[in-house]
Amino acid sequence: MTQQNPVDYATAIQYQLADICDPYPTYANFNRNYATESTFVTWQLRNIHQPVYTGQTQNNKGIDTPVFQISLFSQSFNDALNLSNTVLQELHGYSGQFGGESGFFIAKADVVWLYNSYDNELGLNQIFLDCTIYVPT
Amino acid sequence: MALIDKVLPGYVATLWCQDDATPTPLTDAQLSTWASQVETIIGTSAGGTGTAGIQVPVEAIPSFGADDASAAYSVAGARTGAKITTQNQVTSLTITAAWNPADTAQLLIRDDGYSGTIIRTYVIAVYDGTDTVAYAFNARVGGLQWDMSPSAEGKFIFTIHPVGGNSYGWSNN
Repeated sequence: MTQQNPVDYATAIQYQLADICDPYPTYANFNRNYATESTFVTWQLRNIHQPVYTGQTQNNKGIDTPVFQISLFSQSFNDALNLSNTVLQELHGYSGQFGGESGFFIAKADVVWLYNSYDNELGLNQIFLDCTIYVPT
Repeated sequence: MALIDKVLPGYVATLWCQDDATPTPLTDAQLSTWASQVETIIGTSAGGTGTAGIQVPVEAIPSFGADDASAAYSVAGARTGAKITTQNQVTSLTITAAWNPADTAQLLIRDDGYSGTIIRTYVIAVYDGTDTVAYAFNARVGGLQWDMSPSAEGKFIFTIHPVGGNSYGWSNN
């Protein structure tokens, strides 16, 4: 099997998070959404890495374990906490199709609820979660 | 259906068993038959139908397959000896599960261990979301232990001893 494509990962994460967090909007990165949205979600992908088992055979690879950070922003701390619970309930331990029909199969999603914070300048509560997905490829 | 064609993480394997209190184990031929046999023991979450089976909630599936055994002999005048692979037994599986006193599968296994004579069909299913590969075998339960060490969750440990030399089979959906 071939290495998964970061474009596929990004597309699937956007689809899945938007699905989970509906009706709150989901964006790939923080921008000026805070001016118009009272609650919203952003994500950032990192650590795409599929261990390579041999130096001789390029396709002898293991499970890919990319991580994406989910950042929840809300003017209401209660909304932020509730939204983080929604993400936990829907995503933590999930196994199956990820990213809708055009997505891919994940063996497991593992969510870590990291910490919460408050940005006085923006007036937004923030909650950060890390999600590792295990992708057989 | 096609066989799974990708490297899978170990934890996609799940353990299933027949759910009758007094089950009729599959025959040797049926252990290698997916349709209406093995698939009924595997639940829908791993690609089966689950009409006659239940999941055993294990922490990890131990190594399974056959034990290693060979007869070694030396050959007079030859530089090395030789080995002949002998008919190996099917490996026993020592399984650790987080103990839930109300779990139906664990209660079945506890009763099997108490009986000592019940032969049940077990299936290890590997599932990639679409296709399933299954290793089915008939076994009795022995060596029930409960480990209630206060430093961790309570554990239920038991060993599944396969019956007979041919009592296992591979199949896929």
